[in-house]
Amino acid sequence: MIIKKFFLNKVFILIIAACLIQFFSKNSYAVDPEEILQNQEQELRARSISKNIRCMICQNQSIDDSSAPLAKDLRILIRKKIKEGNNNKEVYKFLTDRYGDFILLKPPIKLNTLALWILPFFFFAVGVFIIFWNNKKSKKN
Amino acid sequence: MIKKQLLTLPSIFFLLILLIFFYLLIIDRNPSEIPSALLNKNVPKFETTSLLTEKKFISSDIFRGEIKLVNFFATWCKPCRDEHNYIKLFDNQEALEVIGVNYKDNPQKAIKWLRELGNPYSNIAVDKKGRIAIDWGVYGIPETFIVNSKGIIKYRHAGPITKKIYKKIIFIINEIE
Repeated sequence: MIIKKFFLNKVFILIIAACLIQFFSKNSYAVDPEEILQNQEQELRARSISKNIRCMICQNQSIDDSSAPLAKDLRILIRKKIKEGNNNKEVYKFLTDRYGDFILLKPPIKLNTLALWILPFFFFAVGVFIIFWNNKKSKKN
Repeated sequence: MIKKQLLTLPSIFFLLILLIFFYLLIIDRNPSEIPSALLNKNVPKFETTSLLTEKKFISSDIFRGEIKLVNFFATWCKPCRDEHNYIKLFDNQEALEVIGVNYKDNPQKAIKWLRELGNPYSNIAVDKKGRIAIDWGVYGIPETFIVNSKGIIKYRHAGPITKKIYKKIIFIINEIE
């Protein structure tokens, strides 16, 4: 009984530790303290934009996560643009004008990305149809 | 009957997908290559200093007349050293001017580097903070652009120039002419 309790306690502590690690790791971004803007609202905007911008060097990371030099340059540039009074749309345009749609982690809905957006729904519908069809038939049998 | 159809359809579909994947696997392509957003657009405007003469470098004065090859390089970049011989070969090409952009570099080191390896550039812009490179959509040096006589970007290659790319660029330059 005591052994069991001791074991449970250990498991409990481990779970708590794992949760805590998760909690704190969420705060470890690549943003350096000196990059952060004084104005909190502007800083939040910069962060939310950075999360949608691909780091062109480590291509599946956002510039918010990446410590590549270019990612840092772009983070600072985004903050500068925000300080100058550009709205989010203008900042995104500034970046896509130079690096193309590829720099956006989420592809925009355009004619050449339409298949990308619609096909999942299409396949889902086909799947539902097949299941429905099979069900109906097995009921008949 | 219908059930049989339902079974053959997915297998045909699966085979088709397999074929597409296999095709993409064997063709000569580089999936990490990103097309430039600046193709067929005007050269970004910028002003800086020239590395060797320390005079003003004004892009609108430079990018007109002859076809230009623009090469982003730095002394700390090993692939830049590797491709340097090809850049020198471009210098021998007639009716082509080679422009360098020295990216995030120490000017003294860059001058020494060019003295050691040879200077194929007719003019070199200093991009101390990498801001010019961002306007060109550069994400990793070396990168090389072809700009036609009207100042419009016609080609971009990211990465060092190899024999294959050298031939490709010569072909494109001849075609522009």
